[in-house]
Amino acid sequence: MSTWLNRLRPGRDQPGQRAALQRWQALPAAELGRAHFDTRYVVINTEATGLDPERDRLLAVAAIAIDGGLIRAQESYYASLADDPGAALAGLLEFAGKAPLVVFGAGFNRRLLERAWQTHLGGVPETIWLDLFWLLPAVFRPGLDGPTRLAQWMKIFDIETFQRHHALGDAWAIAQLLLALLARAPRLGAGTARALADLERSRRQFTTPA
Amino acid sequence: MTNTAPDQLVGASTDFLRRFSPFDRMEADALTFLAQRAVLGFHARGSEILSPEMGQPRHFHIIQRGKVQARQSGPATVTEYTTLNMGPGECFPIGAITAQRPSTNAYVAVEDSFVFQIGVDDFMELMRISPVFHLFCTQYIASLLNQSRQQLQTTFAQRASDQQTMTTPLGELIKQAPVSVGPETVTRSALEKMAELRIGCMVVVDEQQRPLGVLTQSDLLPRVVLPAFDLGRPIVEVTTPAPRTLPATATAYDAALEMATHGVRHLLVVDAEGRLCGVVSERDLFSLQRLSLRQIRASIEGAGDIEALQSAATDIRQLALNLIAQGIGAEQLTRFISALNDALTRRIIDLAIARHDLHGVDYAWLAFGSEGRHEQTLSTDQDNGLIYTCSDPAAQDAHKLRLLAMAREVNNDLAACGFPLCKGNVMASNPELCLTPQQWQNRFGKWIGEPDPQALLNASIYFDFRVIHGRQSLGDQLRSWLNRAARGNSAFQRLMAVNALDAQPPLGRLRDFVVEADGCIDLKKSGARLFVDAARIFALRTGAEASGTVQRLRQSAVKMGVPEEESAAIIDGFHFIQLLRLRAQHLDTEHDAPGDNRINPEHLNELDRRILKEAFRQARKLQARLRLDYQL
Repeated sequence: MSTWLNRLRPGRDQPGQRAALQRWQALPAAELGRAHFDTRYVVINTEATGLDPERDRLLAVAAIAIDGGLIRAQESYYASLADDPGAALAGLLEFAGKAPLVVFGAGFNRRLLERAWQTHLGGVPETIWLDLFWLLPAVFRPGLDGPTRLAQWMKIFDIETFQRHHALGDAWAIAQLLLALLARAPRLGAGTARALADLERSRRQFTTPA
Repeated sequence: MTNTAPDQLVGASTDFLRRFSPFDRMEADALTFLAQRAVLGFHARGSEILSPEMGQPRHFHIIQRGKVQARQSGPATVTEYTTLNMGPGECFPIGAITAQRPSTNAYVAVEDSFVFQIGVDDFMELMRISPVFHLFCTQYIASLLNQSRQQLQTTFAQRASDQQTMTTPLGELIKQAPVSVGPETVTRSALEKMAELRIGCMVVVDEQQRPLGVLTQSDLLPRVVLPAFDLGRPIVEVTTPAPRTLPATATAYDAALEMATHGVRHLLVVDAEGRLCGVVSERDLFSLQRLSLRQIRASIEGAGDIEALQSAATDIRQLALNLIAQGIGAEQLTRFISALNDALTRRIIDLAIARHDLHGVDYAWLAFGSEGRHEQTLSTDQDNGLIYTCSDPAAQDAHKLRLLAMAREVNNDLAACGFPLCKGNVMASNPELCLTPQQWQNRFGKWIGEPDPQALLNASIYFDFRVIHGRQSLGDQLRSWLNRAARGNSAFQRLMAVNALDAQPPLGRLRDFVVEADGCIDLKKSGARLFVDAARIFALRTGAEASGTVQRLRQSAVKMGVPEEESAAIIDGFHFIQLLRLRAQHLDTEHDAPGDNRINPEHLNELDRRILKEAFRQARKLQARLRLDYQL
């Protein structure tokens, strides 16, 4: 990561960070029609001062890539926004590339992030978001009283993490949930990122979450 | 702000691994190395993670969560379980990845499972940098070897037979160069050639060796004999024109199909240019499916002549090679080779006896040396003799002559079946080795009483006798007499021990192995022999009845009060060396070189090298015991 740090350090000002966004925009678009094992997904998770996306402030961001259906420890990212939020957010963008971004609870994570990107990078990257909050029940069909919260899903899959409510700690758990999801979703015909996005959309339309 | 995420995730994996053996004992650096390289994957319930068909495994797996079942697949039973459930912290495949061969198990996720994996190179590196992990893997393999030995051989021999591949390319099935003649050859000389070479089919080829026609034995009656065909005319006039051919790359299946479809018994195999490279007969294809222990046995017992036994002998070797290739333990393998060779020898003797009048003679056919010990490898000379009694002492000489005549035929028939005649003439047809019980006792007694070097060498061959055919009690009585005689003579035992200590385990002080000039170790002279010689002495000392090394070690250990795990470790060492010998012969046979017991330890994989070293250490232990017992 030192290369991008060095590259970004001289220009901590807005123009430098805007360059990060431009570089990201110049990347080739992700291919959304490939099989999961051929697609790089990036799980993103945030840590904030509270749970209100409108009022609370982003404290840290974390990301874990899933490539070839595997999680590699080396392919992960964590940055606190305390010192240099612009660099932290630009770094996240550089790490993610154009991969589909996967969150648990887009309503919160995505809004916080997009606001922060707007503030610090001067723009919002247009990318595909997948929300496990919708996709997990769509794929695993737990029934009406099924789990909704992250802790419940972790319990079902017996997933542990080293630190809950920590951006990377929870991202680690979410990434494992995504692994399970990517293995199972093709049976429902959702074998690509685009198909997952469609599945999520129809789930949102036809379900009212508890 | 630094990106500490990878470190944190590695830390999480480290903490997880540390909850399980052997990772809890693993060196910190090695554990970090592992956690840094461990990649997490998910396997949905019912999905196959690894199977023998996938070839050499490319990853080593550690289960993080869930349940994975190891299922025995493939023809040979290697472990004592058929299925085994594995949970978090357990890893696979240890044996296959270490030995760099396909797994014998299929690994299937029976629950949704998260599984870490590392690449094979990282696995090897981990073995190198972590003594704890190395030991863990080695012990695991050792336990596998152990389990494999406890299996009964019949089951896997049976299963192996079903696997006899009908996918073998025809090019590999061809046993001999094709016999062919030109189209203008006089029919008589072509038929004479068929008779002389005992072949069922004659191929007519053009100048480029391309088949023009074929004549089989079954064609002779309708085309040659009944029409009183003029044998002076060219052969091409009676052959079937445009015979059916298959390329050498076609499989046995293809050939079987072709034969069944067209009702022919022979197919011509041609190369890419259409030139004849051989003939495959229906019988060649059947022989592919004939190779099971039971079937070979049945074919031996039903054999009416030496030709049938010869093909059975070939089958025995083929099956042995298949079993070795499937990774079967040395003990079952040698016992099974021994069982089939015994059956073969018995049948040969039965056939010979039918031709000789042995009325009034009580006799037993004895096997000496490695055959006597049930430790025949694939290239073993004959070592045999006879013990006989007769009711009428006056007729003794006449009886002996009749026995010798019978023995000569048996020796020659054994040679025809692939057991070379003994260069030292240790054979039943040697009058010196066709003796009455009293004569054998005199001879053995002389060796024990005057143990010069030759006597000691003789003892090392003859004292491993065993009855193969005939009156068992003649052998039993000789054995109990020998045990009494040798047991009471500690000077003889002591000299045997001195002799046995002549050969040292080839372990170096600085380097792992002491090798000969060509970089090799002779596994017979500097390996198996160490165990065999020591076991013989212990058996004589404790009066153990067995003639085999393993049984001798087991029986004498009980009598000498040696702890069971100690003798088991020694036996494991012996088996491993035997296995390497068989494997070396296997490879040699494939290259058409004689099995010569030599291996270059540099060519072994890391695991085998380590086990071999341990095996030699066990031999050293055994020798230390001899030294102690006889104060040498």
